[in-house]
Amino acid sequence: CNRFGFSPSEPMRTTRTANWQTQGSSSDHLTLGHNVSTPGPDLTTQEFKQADKENVSNVTFMEYEVILPGECVSGTSIIKNITLDSASRIELSCRLDNEYSNLKSLQVTWKRGNETIRHINKTENSWSIQLMILDSSKMGSYSCTLKDEEEISAVFHLQGKLFKILEKPIVSYEGDTAVMICKSFGYTPIAWTWYMTNGSEQIAINDSLLADKYVINRISANVTHLKILKLTKEDDGVYWCEAAFELGKSKGKLKLKVLSLMVPLKPFLAIVAEVVILVTIVFLYEIYSKKKEKRAVEFWNLTSFSYSKSEESNGLENSSARHRRI
Amino acid sequence: PPSNAGRAPSPPDGGWGWVVVFGAFISIGFAYAFPKGVAIFFKEIQDFFGTSYSEIAWVSSIMLATTYGAGPISSILVNRYGSRPVVIFGGLLCGIGMVSAAFCTSILQLYICVGFITGFGLALNLQPSVIIIGKYFLKRRPIANGLAMAGSPVMLCTLAPLNQFLFDNFGWRGSFLILGAILLNCCVAGALFRPIGAATASVKTQATEEGKDALKEEVTKDAMEMCSSMNTPMETKMEEEGGKDCCEKINQYLDFSLFKHRGFLIYLIGNVLMFLGFFAPIVFLAPYAKHIGIDEYSAAFLLSILAIVDMIARPTTGIIANSKWVRPRIQYFFSFSIAFNGACHLLCPLASGYTGLVVYSVFFGLAFGMVCAMLFETLMDLVGAARFTSAVGLVTIAECCTILLGPPIGGTLIDTFGDYKYMFIKCGVVMVLAGTFLFIMNYYNYCMLAKEEKERKAKEEDPKSVRTENEGRNNWNKETIRDGPELEPLREEREGLKKEVNGT
Repeated sequence: CNRFGFSPSEPMRTTRTANWQTQGSSSDHLTLGHNVSTPGPDLTTQEFKQADKENVSNVTFMEYEVILPGECVSGTSIIKNITLDSASRIELSCRLDNEYSNLKSLQVTWKRGNETIRHINKTENSWSIQLMILDSSKMGSYSCTLKDEEEISAVFHLQGKLFKILEKPIVSYEGDTAVMICKSFGYTPIAWTWYMTNGSEQIAINDSLLADKYVINRISANVTHLKILKLTKEDDGVYWCEAAFELGKSKGKLKLKVLSLMVPLKPFLAIVAEVVILVTIVFLYEIYSKKKEKRAVEFWNLTSFSYSKSEESNGLENSSARHRRI
Repeated sequence: PPSNAGRAPSPPDGGWGWVVVFGAFISIGFAYAFPKGVAIFFKEIQDFFGTSYSEIAWVSSIMLATTYGAGPISSILVNRYGSRPVVIFGGLLCGIGMVSAAFCTSILQLYICVGFITGFGLALNLQPSVIIIGKYFLKRRPIANGLAMAGSPVMLCTLAPLNQFLFDNFGWRGSFLILGAILLNCCVAGALFRPIGAATASVKTQATEEGKDALKEEVTKDAMEMCSSMNTPMETKMEEEGGKDCCEKINQYLDFSLFKHRGFLIYLIGNVLMFLGFFAPIVFLAPYAKHIGIDEYSAAFLLSILAIVDMIARPTTGIIANSKWVRPRIQYFFSFSIAFNGACHLLCPLASGYTGLVVYSVFFGLAFGMVCAMLFETLMDLVGAARFTSAVGLVTIAECCTILLGPPIGGTLIDTFGDYKYMFIKCGVVMVLAGTFLFIMNYYNYCMLAKEEKERKAKEEDPKSVRTENEGRNNWNKETIRDGPELEPLREEREGLKKEVNGT
């Protein structure tokens, strides 16, 4: 069953490399995962080459390629996730190894969902399609299927950009103001929308309608603030910020907790009570030990009167010195 | 012990003193750790008020500046009222400051509540705590100082996660409210600071009036020394008998005559220079680590390593400084630790990767702890516990400027050159210079003190300087005060020191 061999591919024509792993410290966009279900260790895939923003004429052009394995792996598929931030012209290609180009009985189909795509560019051993993605209608999953005796397919998922949300709940108090922030890393959204959750629905927040309650500020291109004034218990809950990009939307979830002033007041009063008790104990102990000292001095005075005069003076000196030396 | 029976009491060096050390531990811990700990809230406050980062950073700077700048005021109050009332009042101020900060509606109000009021309260905590250790300890003072100063890293390690927990559960306003209550614990620490020295005044006057034979005269002389070194009320009484003039009256409250004291001046210049490079590396350690590619949590962990090593180093240094080999030469040990600190910074740029930075953090923590543990001990050693009250106030206000300048200068260096190594080099050079300066000048100081001791011994033989008469006592007292009783700890040690210095 070893009809196809495989060898490491050569890099394709590239524009510029982008470092996809370190955009911010969290998943700003889905990292390239590919679900390789074949055991072939030498299966390599292309690194994504991404054009620099400055070089964008009207539209960026990117090529993505998947190299199909040769081993007998039937019914397997290779999945590649591609995240796009702006309108682009994409070329997706499936390639076989050079060595096995003599297999003419191969049939390759490109599909989007169930729809077959006709315009396939075929070269020696690769089959590719070209797509113009200008809006989110063209997003989705595209697959190329190689049929010979077995069927191997690769799937490309095209998606828009996600971004980081602040995970911790924001705590605020009744009557106070709360500020919630959403940031987009790397890519600039066209518009921001805020939603609040009412039961299971999401209702858009209209800040012009409720201007004394909600204020939405776009601080910079990538950052949006939602300020909620005069908080009440009803404002407690989950809020969503949504960023609209050219090619899709992404949502972030934020939680707001509204507390009453009683909540921190309880620990406050507890600690103040503890302080007062401790200070009282310290002072009482001091008064008690001073009284004890006084009593001891009086005792010494009484007993030393019965001694001779010289001893008396010594005793006085001794006792007072000793006691004072605490 | 019967040998002390006829003498006036010396500092307890134990007993209730250890309770006082515990109180000072808490008080000093809050004073140093609180400004750093409160920085956790800055991000949220910055977003809430919509200000820039530098405007928020002013809160910390104002707090630090007030804590150090209000030193003289603190000293005056302690001179007048003693440590205990001042610390209790300071604790109350801190609490009020933070509680009012919880209700602030503008960044300016935050500056006042958190910056000024809380900062001033912390100043009223810091100075008296250090002063009262000098009153309770003599023989074991370095250990007491080391233990008390260990409060700072321990509090910092406790406050940092506590602040994070409070913030997650109560937001910044609730956290400030609760922190205000926590700061009230300084009042408890203050309550522990039982006054000492005032009660012994009457006993001492008794002892001095009785001195007739040679033994009693010797005893009296010691008593007077102890008395003058410990007893400010006694001192003022003497000065009243001698006749007051305007300068003396001011000196009662804040001893400006310290500026004629050789040891004090050496300490002042050396320390002011040292603080230029002292705090900047801590401020920039985590950013530097991130700059060379280490992740956020590991960078924060470096600071934790530093704090833990610091925690252990401070009491250990106190114990070492108390040993009989180091105590007479404690100034050299101090200069050495400053220079060691500087050397660490100079070697830091050579550290590559995370392991190198961990090693640097360990050594830096060690050096930092050593310097901090002896910071006040050496000043006490130079000027004596009586004048220490005023000395610490004057020193802190002078240090205030360089402490505030240090990190911004470092920041400017980093921004100009784009490289952190120049900041480390600058800090290292400054500290090595300070250490060397202190080493040389203290050597000179020890020689001069030995010379003066010889002269004094010669004068003592002269029967004209009668000790039992008031006037003679006055002048002689003033001499001993001026020369600083650094030779006072133990007779034996004093002899040993003289032999050492004479031999060099």
